Amino acid sequence: MAGNPRDKYCIVGVGETEYSRASGRTTRALGAEAIRNAINDAGLTPDQVDGMLSYHGGDSTPSTSIQYDLGIRPNFYMDCSGGGSSTEALVGLAIGAIEAGMCDVVAIFRSMNGYSNIRIGGTGARASAPIGGLDLMKRPYGLISAVQQFAYTFTRHMAEYGVRSEDLAAIKVAHSNHASNNPKALMKHRVTVDDVMNSRWIIRPVAHLLDCCLETDNATCVIVTSAERARDLKHKPIYIKGVQGRGTKPGGDFHYQHGPITRVAGHYVGPRVFELAGVKHEDVDITGCYDAFTYTVLLQFEDYGWCEKGEGKDYVTSGIINLGGKRPNNLSGGHLCEGYTHGMNMVIENVRQLRGTVDCYCSGASEGNHSYDYSEEGGCRQVKDAKISMNMGWGTPAVGSSLIMGNVLN
Amino acid sequence: MPNYTYRGITLSIPDNDSEYKGYFEAAGEGRLVVKKCADCGLLRGEPGPACPWCTSINWEWQQVSGKGTIYSYQVVAHTVIPSFRDLTPFAIVLVELDEQRGQPTEFDGLRITGNLVDADFNMEKEENVGIGKRVEVAFQPVSEGFMMPQWRLIDEPDDATFTWSHEVPAG
Repeated sequence: MAGNPRDKYCIVGVGETEYSRASGRTTRALGAEAIRNAINDAGLTPDQVDGMLSYHGGDSTPSTSIQYDLGIRPNFYMDCSGGGSSTEALVGLAIGAIEAGMCDVVAIFRSMNGYSNIRIGGTGARASAPIGGLDLMKRPYGLISAVQQFAYTFTRHMAEYGVRSEDLAAIKVAHSNHASNNPKALMKHRVTVDDVMNSRWIIRPVAHLLDCCLETDNATCVIVTSAERARDLKHKPIYIKGVQGRGTKPGGDFHYQHGPITRVAGHYVGPRVFELAGVKHEDVDITGCYDAFTYTVLLQFEDYGWCEKGEGKDYVTSGIINLGGKRPNNLSGGHLCEGYTHGMNMVIENVRQLRGTVDCYCSGASEGNHSYDYSEEGGCRQVKDAKISMNMGWGTPAVGSSLIMGNVLN
Repeated sequence: MPNYTYRGITLSIPDNDSEYKGYFEAAGEGRLVVKKCADCGLLRGEPGPACPWCTSINWEWQQVSGKGTIYSYQVVAHTVIPSFRDLTPFAIVLVELDEQRGQPTEFDGLRITGNLVDADFNMEKEENVGIGKRVEVAFQPVSEGFMMPQWRLIDEPDDATFTWSHEVPAG
């Protein structure tokens, strides 16, 4: 691949608002706070940020409003339409904008009142709008929410590969254990497989309530700049080794016309991102795998090649993905437990993990002093000596992105 | 076409809807149609403006038999649409039509979404839904000139290649 920018760009700042279900504020106010937090985290000043990128689904605030609020004068900005898997792709676009000489420091943000205003699940402000186009073939049959949009893939996969509800529940259990050591998490208590199995059904046979993520009010931000610029900033630079997305399956979101529908976009995205990053699966210490639903995690582990097709159920129940395991996943609790951000929080978490200063309950966490004792709720969630992370972003079964980062050069 | 209302949902199908208007016009006459490429002759289950196989933008509507096999499904135990709450649990099925199965490549098919309904257009019992079951289209009258394609089980042997159904919880 031409022009591989491996290790030439970094994420230097991360920030977010509180994760809540009643922000009581506009997406503008949320966005301004998250970007401000990320700028401060980086040790930058607003006049040093000259690029902005955001993604939204008609539910957010444009960059131009927040530019005024924070005194940012961009040389480049763009507000992109998009949901899940946008975070990683926009990190790539930020690199492109810097490489093209359009700007030097890019703040990427997502702001949403995802519970109190416009809910991804389909309820809330949009529910009563007239429908047309593709929705005509779905909504009159009662097919509206995200889990329903994905369910044909989930059910067919379950049927072909013998996945059980218990296997999916193991993912929620792992992420809830991680969230129990995250003061920011919306759902901090640890759950059991039985808790998941006994929660009410949403869509049979693929999702109980606790298999679904938490619709959340929040804003999030990451800041991208060159490795050269990063040297003067506050934190250890977290290098971007490879980024891909949004890549799709043949047929895009009509992938169920053009199977196998049990396959997801990671099948195409994975080989490209590993090649760019120059790392192999076994080099990766921690993963961030988009958990809109437990099933999205299992499918991505399979199609990114962490296991053979059909063996995702064994991978997620093996202990590998748990804190203390070989390659823990979604250490903040992810969308299932920390809060639903359309992917950004899992990138933020991996940046903090790679810095070694994750914000758990350890008293010296911000100085990198951790107990590495994961046994109790309210403890540590820092992974010891994590060097390489991989994020796997999900838009739909047919759409995905990926980002490999590290705190060391190859 | 005018706007139609079904279970509180307003369906907007304007005259310039070159994807879906013809589909619903045919359904209103009790015919299930798909688009056929006027150049290479292949059918497509999603009625888009161009042929995914040869890029031709010349097409015509083609009536199909209306018989098919359940390829995947979902049973809605909890719906976020208030006007559907009295129906739960109900099944939404992805039906693979008999026409053009496994063509032009092994995993391709013409696949259409609908509810699985009984003879009276009530939702079919959950225990009767399953991958591989044979179904036929049935047109549910909604209002004058407007019918929605739905799917009914038919008395034919299950698909020979693959069958599966989930365990329905007690109660």
